[in-house]
Amino acid sequence: MPYDIVIIGGGPAAVSAGVYAARKKAKTLLVAESFGGQSIVSADIHNWIGERSISGIVLAEKLEEHIRGYKDDVDIWSDRVESVTRSASDTNLFSITTKAGKSAEARVVIVCSGSSRKRLGITGEDRLDGKGVVYCSICDAPLFGGKDVAVVGAGNAGLEAVIDLYPYAKKIYMVNRGATLKGDAVTQEKIKTFPTVEFIFNAIPREIMGDSFVSSMKYKDIVTGEEKTLAVEGVFIEIGSIPNSGLVKGFVETDEISRIKVDPRTMRTSVVGVWAAGDVTDSLYQQNNIAAGDAVRALLNAHTYLHSGK
Amino acid sequence: MKKITVYSTPTCVYCVMAKNFFTKNGLEYVEYNVAEDLKARQEMVDKSHQLGVPVIDIDGEIFVGFDKSAISTALGITG
Repeated sequence: MPYDIVIIGGGPAAVSAGVYAARKKAKTLLVAESFGGQSIVSADIHNWIGERSISGIVLAEKLEEHIRGYKDDVDIWSDRVESVTRSASDTNLFSITTKAGKSAEARVVIVCSGSSRKRLGITGEDRLDGKGVVYCSICDAPLFGGKDVAVVGAGNAGLEAVIDLYPYAKKIYMVNRGATLKGDAVTQEKIKTFPTVEFIFNAIPREIMGDSFVSSMKYKDIVTGEEKTLAVEGVFIEIGSIPNSGLVKGFVETDEISRIKVDPRTMRTSVVGVWAAGDVTDSLYQQNNIAAGDAVRALLNAHTYLHSGK
Repeated sequence: MKKITVYSTPTCVYCVMAKNFFTKNGLEYVEYNVAEDLKARQEMVDKSHQLGVPVIDIDGEIFVGFDKSAISTALGITG
């Protein structure tokens, strides 16, 4: 028997869609490798509504517990969806296949596969990944005790990396492409009080250097045109994300940076029967609360479609 | 029973996920906090040739990060 709805993902968007699907008694499958989404690595989230302060991992546990509370209505596979296609046997159905080689069919697909960390794409970055190049600041910041480090990126993730590093690192260079910090003003004010943080603006990283571990990073000052080198043993890269839209590539319409195009009123994609919500879409602002709300809108609209065919 | 060693930091969420996974499956493990234990940190670097956590040693087989499916395979855990 096909499912009514397949939900792809385990972040706030996917779980919100799942909870609403369960409450509508739709026969639902949710496929997620893990729960919590990208903020699982956040030490302290202050803007998840209803919680003054919550860590990423506790939020992840709460999301998982919430959706698992509907086990009579929602099947959960710990797996990754690799493709979404139209069913070969019935064109009214969609077919998903997973990394573990499983497949399922459903009348509706809701893609909430989120986004992944963006890389700088410069020399040395891949070779020294894990060898001083860090993408999970909260995980690895304690290993840089007494060392000089660079944080690349001036948004919220960059600001948080500085906060993660501050108790440990001797000196933190915050390297920013723009002329000002971005991210929440409250956090900006906080890190401006840290005496060990030095801000470098208008700087474009060019190369990460080191033999077996990072020893320095080269950047270009775009105002003077000069190339400069920072002697650092860690480079923490926090420059945003790329959408996890590979599973629907060529199947639904995406924009020039691979985000799934959605109608903002309904969260419908270019394919009738396929919805998307959260960071994988071209919706404005990548926020947990928005992802959750957009996914609810998607689910409710999908539910109407399931019952009215429109 | 296979010998499991986890090299971790107190703030690392993937380390917590790995430890929860072992506990849920009734497996014992030894844990080193490499934020403070410099000898264990060096041991981790020697084994994994890198500095990111978690590093998980299962009977000499080294895993960097919490790759649930690879670790399940190494431990013969299904489902």
